[in-house]
Amino acid sequence: MTNSRTILICSGKGGVGKTTLTANLGIALAGQGARTVVLDADFGLRNLDLLLGLENRIVYTAQEVLAETCRLDQALVKHKQEPNLALLPAGNPRMLEWLKPEDMQTIAGMLSERFDYVLIDCPAGIEDGFKNAVAAAKEAIVITTPEVSAVRDADRVIGLLNTHGVSPVQLVLNRVRPKMMANQDMLAVDDVTDILALPLLGLVLEDEQVIVSTNRGEPLTLNGSASPAAKAYGNIASRLQGEDIPLMDPAKERRGIRARVRRLMQTKIF
Amino acid sequence: MTAEPSPSVPDCLQLPAFRSISWQQWLPAQLASLPGRTIDLDTGDWSLSCRELDELLTALHSAGHDVHVVTTRCRNTLISATALGLTARLATHDHPAGEASADQQKHTESIAGLTVHRGTLRSGDHIETRGHLLIVGDVNPGGSASADGDVYVWGRLRGRAHAGRQGNGNAKIVALQLRPLQLRIAELVARGPDERPQPGLAEQACILDGAIAIEPASPPFAAQQP
Repeated sequence: MTNSRTILICSGKGGVGKTTLTANLGIALAGQGARTVVLDADFGLRNLDLLLGLENRIVYTAQEVLAETCRLDQALVKHKQEPNLALLPAGNPRMLEWLKPEDMQTIAGMLSERFDYVLIDCPAGIEDGFKNAVAAAKEAIVITTPEVSAVRDADRVIGLLNTHGVSPVQLVLNRVRPKMMANQDMLAVDDVTDILALPLLGLVLEDEQVIVSTNRGEPLTLNGSASPAAKAYGNIASRLQGEDIPLMDPAKERRGIRARVRRLMQTKIF
Repeated sequence: MTAEPSPSVPDCLQLPAFRSISWQQWLPAQLASLPGRTIDLDTGDWSLSCRELDELLTALHSAGHDVHVVTTRCRNTLISATALGLTARLATHDHPAGEASADQQKHTESIAGLTVHRGTLRSGDHIETRGHLLIVGDVNPGGSASADGDVYVWGRLRGRAHAGRQGNGNAKIVALQLRPLQLRIAELVARGPDERPQPGLAEQACILDGAIAIEPASPPFAAQQP
C-alpha cells in the first residue's frame, strides 16, 4: 500500500499519554474510514491491549509472526466495535534479548502492505526499546505535557528522531490545564513550542474521563463521548488526514460561566 | 623502532573521502594493519546516522579495537556520536570552504579559527571545538557548547556554555538572549542568573575580578584572531 503511513508515537518521558493517544487516535482514524493497525512496541510493559479492552483476545503476538509460527492475520486482533482497527500485540519480554531494529522493520513493512495507518506505540526512554521502534517508523508524533521534565525529555527525543532521519515530526501537548496556565503555574503553550520548535498537531485538555476509559478498556473516541479529550483526539485524527482544524486556545476555554459549568460536568476537575 | 605504540597516543583511523568507497568494503583491510587497541576515529566528511555509526563501532569492536575519541567535520556524525555516548569533536577545516562537500557545508563551516554551526542544539546535544564557536540558533536547556576560544550564540543560550576550555581566562560567552543553566569560562563555573533578561538586550559573560560577570554585550562582537 503505497500511501500507507507509519507513525511512531513517542515521548521520552513515561506516563505522558503515548498509549492513550495511540489507542484513541487508532479508534478515531478507523472511525473516519481509514484502515488502521496499532502496534505495541513496548515488549517489557505492554499496555495497549488493556486500553483497547482486547487483552483477553490475544492468541498470537508479534513474536510468533516474526518466528513464522503463525500468519500475520492470525495474530492481528480486530477491535470488537470498530472493524477498521486492528491490534498487533507485543511479544513477551524475553524478546528484548534478541529483537533487532531489522525485526521491527520487517513487521512494519508487513503491516504497511495492508493498512493505511500503522501507529507504533513506543516505550518510554531512549534505550533499546526506542531504538528498535524508531527503525520501523517513517514519521513521528512526540507527545509531551506542559511540564519542565517532560519537555526536556521530549527535546532529547526530537534530537534523536532527527538523527535517525524520521520526518515529519509533529507535537501533541497533553494534559493541559487552562486555569493553571492562566495563573502561570503551568508552562504556557508558547513556552513549550519555543523550546521544541515543532508544529503543534493538537492540544488535549486534562480530563478525568481518560482514567475512567482506561479502566473500562473503552477509549474515549469510541462512543462519541462529548468529553474535551475525546474531541481533541478526534481533531488530531482529522488533522493527520489533512483537514485544517484550528487549534483550541486554552485562554479562551475559560470564559463564561456556562462554559465553566459544562466543563466541570464533563471533566469533573475544578 | 618501538613495536608497540605508546598507550598515551592512540592510533588514528581515518575514513577515506566521503562516498568514494563504502566503508564496509574499505574497513577489513585497514583492520589488519591496526595494532593499537584504543584508537581515535576520524570520520572526516562522512555523514553517519546513529545506526551507521553503531555498525562501524561494532565492526571495530569485534576486531578488538576500542574507540577513544571520534573526530568529525559533519554535524550529523557529531550528534550521532554524542547520542551513542562517545567523546566527539568537531574538527576545523584545513582547506578552503569551496573544497568541502555541499552536504555538511550546510551546517558547519570553519573560517580561520571560527567554527559556525547552524541549527539549534537540543537537549543532550554537545558541540566542542578548538578556536571560536558561533552557533546560529538556540542552545536548548540540556544542550551544551564549548570552545577553546569564545562562544557566540546568535539566538537563545538556555543550556550550558564553556568558553576558554583549555584555560584561556580572556574568553567570553555572548548571546542574543543569555538565560543559561550554567556558564563556564576557563576553570570558573557560575549558575545562570535567576531573573529574565530584558528582551532585545544582548549580553556577554567574561571574567572580572576573578569571577564570571554578565554585562550588556558591546561591539565589536567579532572574534579576535587566535
